[in-house]
Amino acid sequence: MKNRLKVLRAERDWSQQHLADELGVSRQSVNAIETGKYDPSLPLAFKIAEVFAMGIEEIFERD
Amino acid sequence: MTGNVIEPRPGKGPFFYGGLMFAAIGVIVALAATDAINTPTALVLMAAPLALVIPMMKAAAKRVNLGCAGKGEAQSRYIRRVALFTSLYLISLAIMTLAEKQYDPAEAVRVILATLPGLAIIGVFWAIGRLIVEEQDEFMRMLIIRQSLVATGFALSAASVWGFLENANIVIHLDAYWWAVAWFFGLFLGAVWNRIEYGTWGAV
Repeated sequence: MKNRLKVLRAERDWSQQHLADELGVSRQSVNAIETGKYDPSLPLAFKIAEVFAMGIEEIFERD
Repeated sequence: MTGNVIEPRPGKGPFFYGGLMFAAIGVIVALAATDAINTPTALVLMAAPLALVIPMMKAAAKRVNLGCAGKGEAQSRYIRRVALFTSLYLISLAIMTLAEKQYDPAEAVRVILATLPGLAIIGVFWAIGRLIVEEQDEFMRMLIIRQSLVATGFALSAASVWGFLENANIVIHLDAYWWAVAWFFGLFLGAVWNRIEYGTWGAV
């Protein structure tokens, strides 16, 4: 799955740690999701969408 | 701000002490396997590398507190539990070895003394199980499970192969508790695999 996490984070000038704190996960998790090494669960994907105030499909897309 | 946060290094990391511990265990196993030392001496000497668990746990706790290994609450509990059971293991091992050397305990006492170190090791397995249950970070939880699966696969495979080789009188007899040691070494291999595949060692 592709995602726009890195771009969205950069637009807000957030560090990985800041986003991790917002999501209640580790910085490693954010890094793994951003680099496409790990696809988040649906609850975490919803949380990410909530933090960015966007729809899931605006952040994640199929390969 | 960028994602490339430079984090403070907390001195020697847990993998330094872990590596040192496994290297020392390897040397003792090699000495025991070549009959350079006898089994009771090997067990007593094992206390030295196993004592390295304490600085290893302290280094790991330091990393957790610095935010390098995730959110850390479940991991802090895990570190405390492992430190407790490792201490119990060292104490029970010392009591068992000393009692057998100094006295000639009754069979019932020997059974109890010989069971205690095993129970302490079970405590470490329990601590890992609780970490999997309590870890709230799904990515970190996945890494722990991967490590445990690698460890299980490695230890069971090694035990199977060794068992048949031993049966064919090709290798020496190994006491069964060595497969627990192999499992812990498997955790290290799992951490290396996590590092290669996901860029992070994991939490155990």
